[in-house]
Formats: sequence, C-alpha cells, structure tokens
Amino acid sequence: MASAAKLSHTAAMILQAIDAGVVYGFGIMEMTGLPSGTVYPAMRRLERDKLICSRWERQSIAEAQQRPPRKYYKLTTAGAAALQASRTRYPLLERMIPPVEERSL
Amino acid sequence: MTPQSGPVLHAVDRGLLCCASFLVPQRQRAEWRLEWESELWHARRLNGPSCMASWRTERRMAGFCLGAFRDAACLRRLWWQDRKSIASPRGSATLCLVWLGSLLLASYLLSILLPGVRAAHDLSNEPARPGTISIQDEGAENSADPSMTIDQVRMWERSSQRYADGFAFYRVAQEAVESGSHAGGTWRVAQASSNLFTLAGWPLHYAIPRDKSRSDVARVVLSERVWREQFGANPKIAGTVLLVGSRPAQVVGIAPADAWKLPGNGDAWLLESDKEIDSHGRGYAVAHLTRSGRLELWGGLVQISSYDAQKSEHDFMGKSLDEQLPGPASIFWFGVLLAFLALPAIASVSLAEYNFSSHKPSWMRRAMRVGFLGAKIVLILAIAYFSSGDLAYWHSSVFSPPAVYIQWTASFAICLLGMRWALLDQRQRCPVCLRRVSNPAQVGSVSRMFLAWSGTELICTGGHALLHVPGLPTSWFSTQRWMYLDSSWDFLFAC
Repeated sequence: MASAAKLSHTAAMILQAIDAGVVYGFGIMEMTGLPSGTVYPAMRRLERDKLICSRWERQSIAEAQQRPPRKYYKLTTAGAAALQASRTRYPLLERMIPPVEERSL
Repeated sequence: MTPQSGPVLHAVDRGLLCCASFLVPQRQRAEWRLEWESELWHARRLNGPSCMASWRTERRMAGFCLGAFRDAACLRRLWWQDRKSIASPRGSATLCLVWLGSLLLASYLLSILLPGVRAAHDLSNEPARPGTISIQDEGAENSADPSMTIDQVRMWERSSQRYADGFAFYRVAQEAVESGSHAGGTWRVAQASSNLFTLAGWPLHYAIPRDKSRSDVARVVLSERVWREQFGANPKIAGTVLLVGSRPAQVVGIAPADAWKLPGNGDAWLLESDKEIDSHGRGYAVAHLTRSGRLELWGGLVQISSYDAQKSEHDFMGKSLDEQLPGPASIFWFGVLLAFLALPAIASVSLAEYNFSSHKPSWMRRAMRVGFLGAKIVLILAIAYFSSGDLAYWHSSVFSPPAVYIQWTASFAICLLGMRWALLDQRQRCPVCLRRVSNPAQVGSVSRMFLAWSGTELICTGGHALLHVPGLPTSWFSTQRWMYLDSSWDFLFAC
C-alpha cells in the first residue's frame, strides 16, 4: 500500500473527488479538470494500492434507465485515511473540490 | 459538420478504444472495454446528441479516447509488475531448462576435460580409407597368426601392380620399453613400415608431423589402450622420447587401432622404412586396393595370387578393414532407439491435455508447450550422450567391450528415465504459463468414487488453471483434466 505521504497531488485530487461524491471516471475528469489519460491510470494505481475499490452497477438499474452500466468507485478505509493525511499536505484540496451537495447549492 | 458524420466519428472513437484494448492484459480486456465504452456513452450524452455534435466536441471525445491508450499501457505495466512479483523462479519452465542446461554443460565440460573421453569422441569419428586390406597367406592355419614376410611385400612394391597402389608391413615382438617418468614394461611392439598409417588413412591423435619430429630417433605410435593404461591418457605424451628395446623413439601420435581389428594386437608401432625392417620372421601385410582391386572384393575378401622369382604360385587372402566397429555415436543412438521403444512400458505417453470446458489456450501457448517438451527431450538426449560417454571412456578405451556395455547401458537408462520424467513433468505444467502446478489437495474419498468424485487437485500459482487428477480412474473420469480459471479467481492470487 502506498503511504499517504507519497500521494501525488493528482492522486489526492482523485481521492477528494470520490470522497466528494463523484464516483465514476468521466465525472472525476470533469470535476478535477484532468485528462482521461491521467485520471484512469491514476485510479488503476489507487485501486491496486487498495485506496479505492470499484464495483459494477447492477445491470437491471442500467437497463431501466436505458444506458450502459457504469463502474463506480469508492474510498476504502485506507483511502479515507490517506485522503485525510493529504488534506493536511494540500490544504486547498477541499476548496478546489467541494462535496457535490455544496456545489449544487 | 453534417448530422451524418456523428455516427461515423462515434465509430472512429470506438475503433480507438478497440485498438487500445489490445494493450490491456487479456484477462482484464473485456471488463476494461466495457468500462471505457460505457464512459464514452456517458461522455457523449453529456456533450449533446450526435446530430448536434461539433468539431470541438468531437475533438474532445477523441482526446478522451486517446487517454485510453495511456490507461491501457498503465494496466499492462501493472500486470507486468504483478507478474514479476508472482513469478518466483520455483517451478517455472525457465528454471527447468536452466537445470537441464547446467547438467548438459557439466557433462559436456567433463567430456572436454577428461582426455580419455575427448579422445574417444575424436578417434571414433574417422573411418578407415576405403579399400584397405590385411593380407595373409592362404595356407596359414589361424588368421591371427603372422604369415607374411617382408621380402614378399618388398617384391610387390618393386613390381608394377594393377590391383594395389601401396603396401605396408609390420611384425609384432615383445620389447622392453622404458620411459623416464612413466611406468614402462614389456610391450608388444610392432616394427612397422613408416607408411602404415598414411596408407590406411588411419588418423593419429595428438599427431606430430614428420617435419616437426626429431630425425635422430625413431618414431613410435602408441595404441590408445597403452596410452590410457600406461600414461593415464596424458595429452602431452606426444613428443616424449621412450626407450624401445635399446633404441630411443619419439612418440608421434596415438592410434585407435582397436577400431579396425588389426591382427597382432600391438601396443605400439615403431615406424621404420622397409629397408630397416629385419628380414627374419613373419608378420602382417596391409595393402590399399586400386579401383580395379576393389571390384574384386567379394564379401570383404579378395583372393590374391602371386608368383615368386622361381615362377611358383603363392596364394594369399586379403580381408577388408573397411568394416568399422560401431563407435560411441552408433552405440548412443542404439540406446536411444531402445529407450523410445521401451518408454510406453514404463510411462503413459499421453500428455493428458483434456479439460472441463471447451476453452483452449491460444495456438501460441500450445506451440510453446510443445516446444518446451521438445526442448526438454533434446536436452535430455544431449545430456545422455555426453554423460554416457563420460562414464564409458574416462578409463576404458574406445571399442573395448566394457566401454561399449557401459555406454549403451548408461545412454539407454538416462534416455528412458529422462523421457519418463519429461512426460510426467509435462503433465503437471500449467498449459498457460508452463509453471508446475502445486499445493495438492485431496478431495473426496475413494469410497464415494461412484457417487461423487475423489482425487487430487493442484493449482497453478499464476492463477491460470486447476488440475484434477482422479484418485481411481473410471470410465467417466479416466485421466487428469484441466479447469481454466477466469478472473473471478483473481482475489486468490492478488498480492
């Protein structure tokens, strides 16, 4: 597992975005402004380091909405701890990517 | 931009994703493509319907899809890192080949370092010159007894011959031989014509050319047997001066005379010109036949009639020396042939490539598996060749009965047991990564064989396949079967 101190700013932004409620790749791209070639590889590494985990949306839900199923990401306990440590390191993180509810207000 | 161009560009994007997916490891490819196509669908939806697409949007979508290449490369890199961490050398195909290669190298180095073994390989390679015969008086009771005189040979040499283009003579006598540093003794020394070896085309090992040998002493050729027994197969013996009887003689080579069944069984050949050879006593004659003479050979024999100065006829019998005893290579291949014939008696030659599903590894994997088995067999044969030679010839001379038996037995045993091992090992190699399956687990009990299943399960540590070996072969489960593992098993093998 990668130590929290070694988390890059990009990784910290992605963790913050997921924690903020953006739970799929394209949404994270939109939220962070990072290109797909940066976001997805970073998520692969975070998943390998068990800071995030993924699950597929149920097929029935996707079919009901007439769209393909999406792969959702969420923070693990270790990911949450790493994010907490990163917030100390990058104080503007929370202001850059506020929770989804706050953004919608 | 026209409304019709939207679907075309969408197809281009999907094509990009399809190309990028080939970078993704095969096991993750389907899921990866599903995720990216889903993301692309949602990205397009958020950027407006296809008919409303603008060049700017399409550029954005193309940029999004190009990012898939970096993602795919990243997955490939991670997979490679995982593989390296999992791929401990234990049980791998590479390690197996390294072990076999090491054994081969060791046996080959031994065959080079042991002078006796090296000489055995070198000496047995050269056949005798075609048309070489040993001549004996037809009246001789025993073909091994000396029956020829040097005068007869001299007479043939003086007269013009149609059927032979060269003659040599040798006579064997017991002589005391002394050597400064080595054990001497009484040897059977053949006083021979200096052209004996060149006439018959017999190669000398460690030979010293005539112009480089000493002119003030006689030249002597040692038999391979004496070289091994008296001089410990010392390759530096050439050039040494021995005292043969009362004459000093320089060793100018080693002769594998046993190969051509020369009568007389000499321990050494003292090479002299015909004039220097004593006229008293009888010996053996060797001749080389011309093309016409060879046409007269019948069953390796040729009858020779000769007239002396008094016009009286003498009959002789010539026996071809072309027929060579089987050398190390022939003995080895005979052992290999018998081992191949005997193999089905001690091991099933089936590779048991059955599996539970219709899934088959790619042709590349199958070719690698067959290639691996072939490489093992080739290495085993090479090990058998060199190690059987090492065992047979490190102390015994070429063509001696003990050496022949030892080499044949060793090559047969090594090939037979080696190939049995190669087959058994092959059956326990994962068809995907060629690693040996491990962690055997006993499943079920034999008493329930007819109702359930009983046997042993082994798993590939790379997470590719599970091997089921029935405890008691039955008509419905007679041999081992492979079950290929899908990605749902990955959690077992995660680092």
